[in-house]
Amino acid sequence: MRNILLIAKREYLEQVRGKAFKVTTILIPVIFAVVIAISVLAGKYSGSGKHLVVAANNVTLAEDVRAQLLNDKVADLKVDVIAPTADSDRQELVDEVSQKQIDGFLWLTQDAIGRTAAVYAGRSSGDFSTASRLDDAVDRAIVEQQLTLHRVTADDAANFTKGIKIKTRQVRDGKEVDSSTFGTFIAAYVMAFLLTFTVMMYGMNVGRSVIQEKTSRIFEVMLATVEPKEMLAGKLIGIGAVGLTQLAIWALAAAIFFSSALAATLMTDDFKVQISVPQIALFAVYFLLGYALYSTLFAGLAATCESEQELQQYAPLAAVPVWLSFSMITFIMSNPNSFWSVAVSLFPPCAPIAMFLRIASQFPPIWQIVLSLVLLLISVYFVIWFSSRIYRIGILMYGKRATLPEILRWLRYS
Amino acid sequence: MSTVVSLDRISKAYEQKIAVKDLSLQIDEGSMFGLLGPNGSGKTSTIRMMIGITMPDSGAVSLFGKPFTRDSLKQVGYLPEERGLYKKMKVMDQLVFMGELRGLDPAVAGKRAHDWCERMQILEAIGKKTEELSKGMQQKIQFIATLLHDPELVIMDEPFSGLDPVNATLLQDTLIELRKAGKAILFSTHRMDQVEKLCDAICLIDRGHAVLQGGMREVKSRYERNHVVMNFEGDASFLQHPAIARYKNYAGQAEIELKPGANAQDLLREAIGKATITKFELMEPSLEEIFIRTVGEKVDA
Repeated sequence: MRNILLIAKREYLEQVRGKAFKVTTILIPVIFAVVIAISVLAGKYSGSGKHLVVAANNVTLAEDVRAQLLNDKVADLKVDVIAPTADSDRQELVDEVSQKQIDGFLWLTQDAIGRTAAVYAGRSSGDFSTASRLDDAVDRAIVEQQLTLHRVTADDAANFTKGIKIKTRQVRDGKEVDSSTFGTFIAAYVMAFLLTFTVMMYGMNVGRSVIQEKTSRIFEVMLATVEPKEMLAGKLIGIGAVGLTQLAIWALAAAIFFSSALAATLMTDDFKVQISVPQIALFAVYFLLGYALYSTLFAGLAATCESEQELQQYAPLAAVPVWLSFSMITFIMSNPNSFWSVAVSLFPPCAPIAMFLRIASQFPPIWQIVLSLVLLLISVYFVIWFSSRIYRIGILMYGKRATLPEILRWLRYS
Repeated sequence: MSTVVSLDRISKAYEQKIAVKDLSLQIDEGSMFGLLGPNGSGKTSTIRMMIGITMPDSGAVSLFGKPFTRDSLKQVGYLPEERGLYKKMKVMDQLVFMGELRGLDPAVAGKRAHDWCERMQILEAIGKKTEELSKGMQQKIQFIATLLHDPELVIMDEPFSGLDPVNATLLQDTLIELRKAGKAILFSTHRMDQVEKLCDAICLIDRGHAVLQGGMREVKSRYERNHVVMNFEGDASFLQHPAIARYKNYAGQAEIELKPGANAQDLLREAIGKATITKFELMEPSLEEIFIRTVGEKVDA
């Protein structure tokens, strides 16, 4: 035990004093802040400030659509109207778009019995936010038009079409409470990202550290006094402690930030971040188990490699579960209890990330959390069994990377 | 004199390859033991089994008169052939860390590390990181790390490889002092001149088998003194004498190998009759010749 602690201490001090630790401690929160800020702002202001033309054969319809579009203050559109239209106008508008004088035009044709056809032509094909704004505007304009035709006054018609904004609330502990879906989503997103990031980063770190010991030929020197399992255990504990230190620094910084005056002005009702105590505790548990799973795996693989480059070839093993979890992020957030969400959150390599996303959107049944932790523990046990055998033999093999049949033979040795 | 290392018919096989087969040897305290053999003959495998890095498939290892336990490793200093240091660590931190792993108190380890660095003339490197040091300095630090806990048994695998002559002499002198202090020292090397000069006993391994072992004098006495080196002036026709098996004549200096059982004195008489002899020396075979004769000419060491 004394040896394990000595090795852990050495590993911890070397990493904490290293440049990489300082850089990532500062840079990762900064990158997160920037990414979140950009995605929030981009979501809000995408498709804003555009110059559009509404062309219709019906003058009132064109004016109504324009009025609806101008109602949307966030969009900040500039809208011109051509009505009534001649066939030659369309080619002129196409020319204007291609000469970048306007961003796009909406071509409306209404026949005698009031059926309307609408076409939007713009420079970019995937401008979904503009398309949905136009959709809303045309729908409302036509409903208003129809209402006025049926002798409803213009004011009433405007009231009917105003639309209602839905306020989202969440049922928690049998009570209805205010919830800000957006803030919760962001918090969950950040925590899931952070979890992935740290688990992978420190998992790879263990692998790199093993490779460095192998290439610097320190192993045999060490093995004259300590056993391989002591070296492996010391390394895992030391680097895991570095990860926890970094998370603690971030948590402390976040706590200070959220209690500051600046945060109070940012945290409006729309953007309230809710992180509960069980969430923090589970974060720590999933970090430790996820870290144990990936770091032992990488320690075993690293022992079979000769250089860091060779180790990098195994990186996809870690990347695939991460991609899988993140590609399902919106699905999990909106369907936290569907079959696939549950399956992914129980599958050990994905469990830390996927389960965390589920916890954030809706607390899953306790048995599912317990089951995912048990499955994770079992797989950690198997990976340790596998890696410690490979490690014991691999660290003393120099020359070339071990092939799969060789690795299988190593497993049988011990 | 007590026995420090005793290997009793140890064997180890990897896959189809036999690394070591029925090897036995003893190393006494206060003696220097040379483990010799061509590359891949099983030297490193033998050493690894001696200190529990790998376990023998059969046979027994005893250290300090007791069956092997990991506890006895605290009295062993091992310098492997593939050796290194933590690159990012400072020299002093590194030495203290190694000392602590061998059960030393950090303060004691620090004091000893300082003394050793002084002795090895590398005090100025003490606060530097390993990666900033020259190769020679790194090797000295590896020696210090091996010896810091004052081990009773010192095992060095190829300690002289890559050392410049000055440092090689420094290491050699240190080893001699350790022997004087009663330590048992085992080293493996390819350099026969060093073994001949330093070792009290040797074991020559070939393909996992001990093919020749014993005290240095005793081993050499097993081989006939059948080499003659002579300097002469004049007629060289005495080199056709029937006692000579082979010879090389370098313009007045001849290296002669005699036939088994031949009498060197007969040759000398014949030579005096024909030429002027300035030197006639009957030599015992060098360890290198014994090595080559035993293992065969195929040695790539």
